[in-house]
Amino acid sequence: MLKIRDLHVSYGNIAALRGISLDVGKSEIVAVIGPNGAGKSTLLLAIAGVVRARAGSVEFDGRAITGQQPEALVTTGLSLVPEGRHIFGSLSVAENLRLGATVRRDRQEVARDIDRVLAMFPILRERYRQRANKLSGGEQQMLAIGRAMLARPRLLLLDEPSLGLAPLIVAQIYEAVRALRDQGVTALIVEQNVGRALSAADRTYVLSSGVIAMSGKSAEFAGNAAFDAAYFGVAEAAR
Amino acid sequence: MVENSLFRPLQTALVLILALIAVALCASIAPPALQRTVIEALIKLTVVVGLFIFVGQSGVFSFGHVAFMAIGGYMSAILTLAPARKATLLDLPGAIEALQLPWPLALVAVIVAVGVLATVVGWPFCRLRGIALPMATFALLIITYVVASNWQQVTGGRQALVGLPRYVGLWTAFGGAALAILVAAGYAMTRHALMLRCSRESEVAAAATGIDVERERLIAFVLSAMVVAAGGVLFSHFIGTITASTFYLDLTFVTLTMLVVGGMRSLTGACAGVALVSLVSELLRSVERGVAIGDVTIAAPPGLQEIVLAALLLAILVLRPAGLLGDAEIGWPSFRRAAPATATRQQG
Amino acid sequence: MIVLQNLIDAVSLGAVYALAALGIGLIFSVMRLINFAHGELIMVGGFTLYTLAGQPLLVMILAALLTSTVLALGMERVAFRTLRKASPATLLISSFAVSYLIQHIVLLAFGSRAMGVAFLPELGTAIDLGGLRIPLLQLVTIAVTLVLMAGLVAFFRLSETGLQMRAAAEDFTMARLVGVKANRVIAFAFAISGVLASIVSFYLVAQTGSVSYKMGVSMVLIAFVSSVIGGMGSIAGAALGGFLVGIVSVSLQAYLPVDLRPYRDAFVFLLFVLFLFWRPDGLLASRADRDRV
Repeated sequence: MLKIRDLHVSYGNIAALRGISLDVGKSEIVAVIGPNGAGKSTLLLAIAGVVRARAGSVEFDGRAITGQQPEALVTTGLSLVPEGRHIFGSLSVAENLRLGATVRRDRQEVARDIDRVLAMFPILRERYRQRANKLSGGEQQMLAIGRAMLARPRLLLLDEPSLGLAPLIVAQIYEAVRALRDQGVTALIVEQNVGRALSAADRTYVLSSGVIAMSGKSAEFAGNAAFDAAYFGVAEAAR
Repeated sequence: MVENSLFRPLQTALVLILALIAVALCASIAPPALQRTVIEALIKLTVVVGLFIFVGQSGVFSFGHVAFMAIGGYMSAILTLAPARKATLLDLPGAIEALQLPWPLALVAVIVAVGVLATVVGWPFCRLRGIALPMATFALLIITYVVASNWQQVTGGRQALVGLPRYVGLWTAFGGAALAILVAAGYAMTRHALMLRCSRESEVAAAATGIDVERERLIAFVLSAMVVAAGGVLFSHFIGTITASTFYLDLTFVTLTMLVVGGMRSLTGACAGVALVSLVSELLRSVERGVAIGDVTIAAPPGLQEIVLAALLLAILVLRPAGLLGDAEIGWPSFRRAAPATATRQQG
Repeated sequence: MIVLQNLIDAVSLGAVYALAALGIGLIFSVMRLINFAHGELIMVGGFTLYTLAGQPLLVMILAALLTSTVLALGMERVAFRTLRKASPATLLISSFAVSYLIQHIVLLAFGSRAMGVAFLPELGTAIDLGGLRIPLLQLVTIAVTLVLMAGLVAFFRLSETGLQMRAAAEDFTMARLVGVKANRVIAFAFAISGVLASIVSFYLVAQTGSVSYKMGVSMVLIAFVSSVIGGMGSIAGAALGGFLVGIVSVSLQAYLPVDLRPYRDAFVFLLFVLFLFWRPDGLLASRADRDRV
């Protein structure tokens, strides 16, 4: 469904991604893990069209999407939940969700989808009319995911969904991701929480210093010496 | 390599001054009208280089430096005008009315006074962050303009002050510009300038590494105000009259255009900007005066000059946001080594 | 009585400033551009009235609205769109250039002298309200401003586009990530600012009875100050700032010693600088404008 080949991204003179190739199949959950500064967020931002690729290609459902504007990519079925959530704090929860459906015209279906999101995250129903910046971190993450779902994406890009959240909340969020997958939504997740990523994802890529150090089925990673070397080794080297 | 990069600004300054000498020598044998244009350009160069000291090193735009030109010009006018003339035009306290200094002394006094004034104004200003500082400098420009055009007793209000000693000729103007360049280059070599340049990239990061951004900004602000004020003094004594409306938005626009067009992060760029804008203005001015083609004289309507300048600035901002030269500097040809320069940049 | 009279002066002047500040604040909120050329949108509105003087009133008004709006959209398309990623300071300089450019094109076409226009001269009469003599223009200004503001509030609260603009004002990149079209939202903001500018020009022309190529400058400077005081990026703040500056200006005019009255604007800007020290982010700053670490 998503096919990335030899993707290069630079900020000025600093190369953030140096030739990434990665695939995500339909209804898969794929995780990208790696230490700070490995280029994980840059990868998602490049897929979503926020940062420009210097070289390489990104294909979504067989169509090249490299260089497209973020607002155009949403309509093709690709939604990013960025790191730090970026909910619209001065707007209400209801308005945030309405904005999630910006690209859709089927009003009745949108109303039904909002109900589905509220069923998935009941706390948002209680807070429905409140300003979003009054929400706790976990609630904001739920809102950010709910907002992304309202675009009816086929591929959801999640950047550090567990960052700074209590384990109970994290579990709830990953449960939602799995439920979405059962509805046919594919997910590409960037995580620092290695355990969480390995247990949730079908396959995992280890990213370090802008290149893929290792990849494979998540189940094979746990306790794998090569993985420890690749992940913790590079973490060591990065320091 | 270290020595080379440390003294680089000085090399740049010397090359630029040599270029100025060449220009001045050519101008000295040119017709008077052209010579006047060169003198005006040299004075603008003083102002733009002064502006560069603050804007170029700090990365913060100032819309208020023309106010220091006005203050410098008026101060110098009051110090050098004949007492009898002051008595008819102005209403000053007796001691100041009677005072008439020789112009070099007046120039030094003005520069010192503006230094003090800029410290008083700049000390609070430089505490402002983000867009608030440029806004405050804007306010400074407007306040100065309003005061200068209303303070009948001291500035003559909306009337022009006339009869200033016209001591500024080609070589005085050259001297001003050359000194300004030397001051700018000398300052650029100090560690204060280096720290300020660090803060240009990121205010937050510089503060985190222990750089006192407020203090470094203040130093540059005061120094640049003094140079700009000197430019204002020369400007007024070149024209021989001084009016408040001269030192307002239009002149601010022109000087900022000069700085941005050439490249606001480079001393060479500042000079190149002045040269280019002056050249374009002069060409257009001659077109406005009329071009004789056979028996017919075609004159462009007034306003064309400004239109072309604005379009030029816009084109530069769109096509080359860093200015024509970016942050490149002209160097001493024989000392110039490409390798160390690139190495420095990669580290930075 | 004098106090009440001054209050009405302050509110009507504040209303005009608020409209001008809204135009500036709206553009800043979506693209971090302090649009100095907003003054020229006001100016071309005035010159449209001048050119069409003698035509039916409705024609003059509609034409001025159209001209300012088209010019606003044009400057966005030609100049500002390519600079969208530039820093706020660079954007400000470029708007300076746009302003200078338009001013001198008008200078070239119409000359530098101010020219008289009879636009709604009947608004110059004053009506007697329980001992107060209030110029009709002030009442109309206040009424028009209130209607416009109510309209804007409704637009931002209720319409889909208004919601998208609020989202874009808060976090432009995120707004694009949910599918808000950047070009469309920005074009909308410019169109609204064009409409607001031409309405300010109606006030200026009706009040002074003349137009000149520099007529927008002092208004735009005041609008600047107002929007900064309100909090750049906050649309409600811009309106609040406008009213505050109007009140301060009128108070200074009324209560400064006679000798100091010519310096009124200097005092306004001095107070503005002092305000910057107290609240550099303005009264209703949006979080997004602070320097992020």
